[in-house]
Amino acid sequence: MTEFVILVTAGLANGSLYALVALGLVLIYKAQDMVQFGFGEIFMAGAFIGYSAYAYLGLSYPASFLLAILAGGLVGLLIERGLIRPIAHFPHMTLVMVTVGLSFMLKGIFRIPFAQDVYTIPPMFGGSPIIIFDLIFASQNLLTTATSLVLTLGLLLLFAFTDLGKQMRATAENMFGAQYSGINIGLVFATTWGLASVMGAAAGILSAPITALFPDMGTRILIRGFAAAVLGGFGSVPGAIVGGYLIGVIETLFGFYVATALIDLSAFLVIMVVLIFWPRGLFGTKEITRV
Amino acid sequence: MEIHRLFTNRLFTPALFVALCLVSTATNPYLQYLLNLILVYVVVAVGQMIILGFAGQFAFANAAFMGIGAYTVALLGSHFGISYWVSLPAAGVLCAIVGCIVGLPALRLRRVYLGLMTMGFAELCYWLFLHWRDLTLGTDGVKVEAPTFFGIRLDTDDAAFFVIVIATFAMVLLAKAILASRYGRAFIAIRENELVARCNGINVPLYKTLAFTLSGFYAGIGGGLFALAVRFVAPDTFNLLQVVLHFAIVMVGGVGTLSGALLGALFLTMLPEVLRGTQAAQEMMYGVLLVGVIVFMPKGVAGYLIERRILPPEVLVHGWREEVRERDGIPQADAKPSTAE
Amino acid sequence: MEPLLETQDLTVRFGGVVAVEDVSLTVPPGEIRGIIGPNGAGKSTLFNALSGVVKAEGRINFDGRDIADVPVHRRAGLGLRRTFQHVRLMQNRTALENVLVGMHLEIPANPLKSVLNLGGGVSPDRAARDRAREVMSFLGIDGLILRETGTLTIAQQRLLELARALAPGPKLLMLDEPCAGLSVPAVQTLDEILLRLKEEWKLTILLVEHVVSLVIDVSDSITVLDKGRVIAEGAGDEVMSNPAVKQAYLGTEEVDAA
Repeated sequence: MTEFVILVTAGLANGSLYALVALGLVLIYKAQDMVQFGFGEIFMAGAFIGYSAYAYLGLSYPASFLLAILAGGLVGLLIERGLIRPIAHFPHMTLVMVTVGLSFMLKGIFRIPFAQDVYTIPPMFGGSPIIIFDLIFASQNLLTTATSLVLTLGLLLLFAFTDLGKQMRATAENMFGAQYSGINIGLVFATTWGLASVMGAAAGILSAPITALFPDMGTRILIRGFAAAVLGGFGSVPGAIVGGYLIGVIETLFGFYVATALIDLSAFLVIMVVLIFWPRGLFGTKEITRV
Repeated sequence: MEIHRLFTNRLFTPALFVALCLVSTATNPYLQYLLNLILVYVVVAVGQMIILGFAGQFAFANAAFMGIGAYTVALLGSHFGISYWVSLPAAGVLCAIVGCIVGLPALRLRRVYLGLMTMGFAELCYWLFLHWRDLTLGTDGVKVEAPTFFGIRLDTDDAAFFVIVIATFAMVLLAKAILASRYGRAFIAIRENELVARCNGINVPLYKTLAFTLSGFYAGIGGGLFALAVRFVAPDTFNLLQVVLHFAIVMVGGVGTLSGALLGALFLTMLPEVLRGTQAAQEMMYGVLLVGVIVFMPKGVAGYLIERRILPPEVLVHGWREEVRERDGIPQADAKPSTAE
Repeated sequence: MEPLLETQDLTVRFGGVVAVEDVSLTVPPGEIRGIIGPNGAGKSTLFNALSGVVKAEGRINFDGRDIADVPVHRRAGLGLRRTFQHVRLMQNRTALENVLVGMHLEIPANPLKSVLNLGGGVSPDRAARDRAREVMSFLGIDGLILRETGTLTIAQQRLLELARALAPGPKLLMLDEPCAGLSVPAVQTLDEILLRLKEEWKLTILLVEHVVSLVIDVSDSITVLDKGRVIAEGAGDEVMSNPAVKQAYLGTEEVDAA
């Protein structure tokens, strides 16, 4: 039983990161109907920027965290404003290709300083477990999950209660309607990318104490983000969050009880199975086709 | 003289064939290998172009089909001693069937979901290539038996070239015939607007399935030719990078054009050779190139060249040039209506 | 004479909204039937139900057969063709390719014939091209046959879409607001074309239009829809002087002064 609990908490911790990534993907998808294939590299950038702040600038973990997510958000903003906005009217295939090209660029950029070694950050509380009700929890896992939850909650509150959040929701519903209502959709798009990238970068820096950092880590997390978003119903914000946690748990349990070789495949299997049998996922809505 | 007329001349295709053969006899082994690879990727690219560029389906399983085709040829040869002349078409047929099956869930999946699902399938295949050691020998890879032609073993790059160049030309000419027929027009109608295609009598699910089957066939044959060109089939070739490569070939070449498949295959196969340097530098340049081409030539290289009247336009109707009298009938904004005969 | 098109209690629901309710039409062959009504009356939905794009309750008989369960592409094959409110042509392709899409079913499916043209004879695409030129010539746009569709004016594009629908030789042609975006002379051209289609081609036409003068001029009979229901039917003048029709359009019951 203890083993199971440990697995589940580890799975939830990983899952909380997948949830953040899925959230970022879904935000951009809802706002602009496009998939950001370079999003895994935002995650990676957040991780390495945070790492650099911690290891080279000697900042504390919380300060590195803050720097990482602000930098990540800024990168997202710049990409949207500088690269995507001018070509927003291009066909979808083209925009997807641009984000793919972007992912290569970012990977290459970060590979220059970070090609050789294995980079890690030690866990925040020295790795000693926390014991609640006779159950053992790795403290870092709890911290990761908690931080991720806080961020997610913050985002949801922003959507629900702020003007900007309402504008973002309106634009996602109906872009033209939103424009006619006087909403500055350029600002909405920029904010969407900024916030999404904050989520992605946060997941990156949060993953630093748990896993080793390397420039190709983005692809791995992107797939899981997709799996989470698909499971939850692509285009559903709560779905992305729930999906993320589920994928984290599924993956960990699968890997332990079935085969470790399957960990990498499980995300893809989830994607395929869900899309073949329940394409709407858990929370997705049926979309209406117009002539 | 207008450059595009060069390409529409009836002699162009045979002249190109002869030229390639001459080039082949005159080059060093490395360039020969590269040439073989380019031709192989032309076939593979046509497969991706048919499903993505013409039928407009965001399907990225092409790399998986290529892998299946390559492994089929390699394994039939090494495990069962089956001749290449049998295993190559078998690879094509097998991948056509697999393509058809993969296409079935595609019938009800929209863009992004279809893309993710087919990517999932591609990754599944990669995983199988890697872990189904009993069949594929995993990372050990499979050596490809050289085909024999009337007793001569074709085990050099020069020898492989002759098989590859003939196969490539045949496949491309076949694709041209198919695309310039009611089939190609059905594909592009589906890409444009499925509902309108239906209202014009097109059985959309059937033609989508046909597109998947056809693209599977091309990728399978391409994979079989690839096996011949590289003589050794290993899992790592068919990972997500291969998926991205096929997508990039279509986008850089020019969506919805056959010449786009050719040009895309040419450029993107040569690119790693041109982009020398550290992995980081290569990646950055690759990324910049992809973004740059797409942003400045959204219709791809072929699209750009067609607009500039360097390449002839591609009209999907057999013998459409008979419509033309003096001019070469380029559809453009300032074209005057052609006078009657 | 057997009506070409007959519907009985045709109803279309979208979730809780009833877009078309209990519409019963009888259209004899060779007639031009105008369909008018204020915005939101369900005219386009009616077309969508007839062509099979949306699911409908009630009976639809076309050319003697019940087509309620016939899929969209097969209805087209039975001779039911339409144009669209917003022009739906492939903008990046030539006019010829667009018309040939309409001829998909007229060209033999056998790839040995249509792709490779084995067995000699004229290539199927050639025959289709001749037909396309014929139709476009009838409509006065044959000079545009190799022009890129996106470079054509809206009037030319509407005629091209009409050519696409006419090329396969349909039995019933449904036109959805063909005058939208057209100048007065272009509307006049369309007027003449529709009358010629009826006289020379013996075509049956359903015409949804807001330009009432055109509808009255070409239609043998007019059906008026409001809020999804038929509120009047008959010859042009009769229908236009019907108080229910006036109320639907103007929203008030108006008695003509003088």
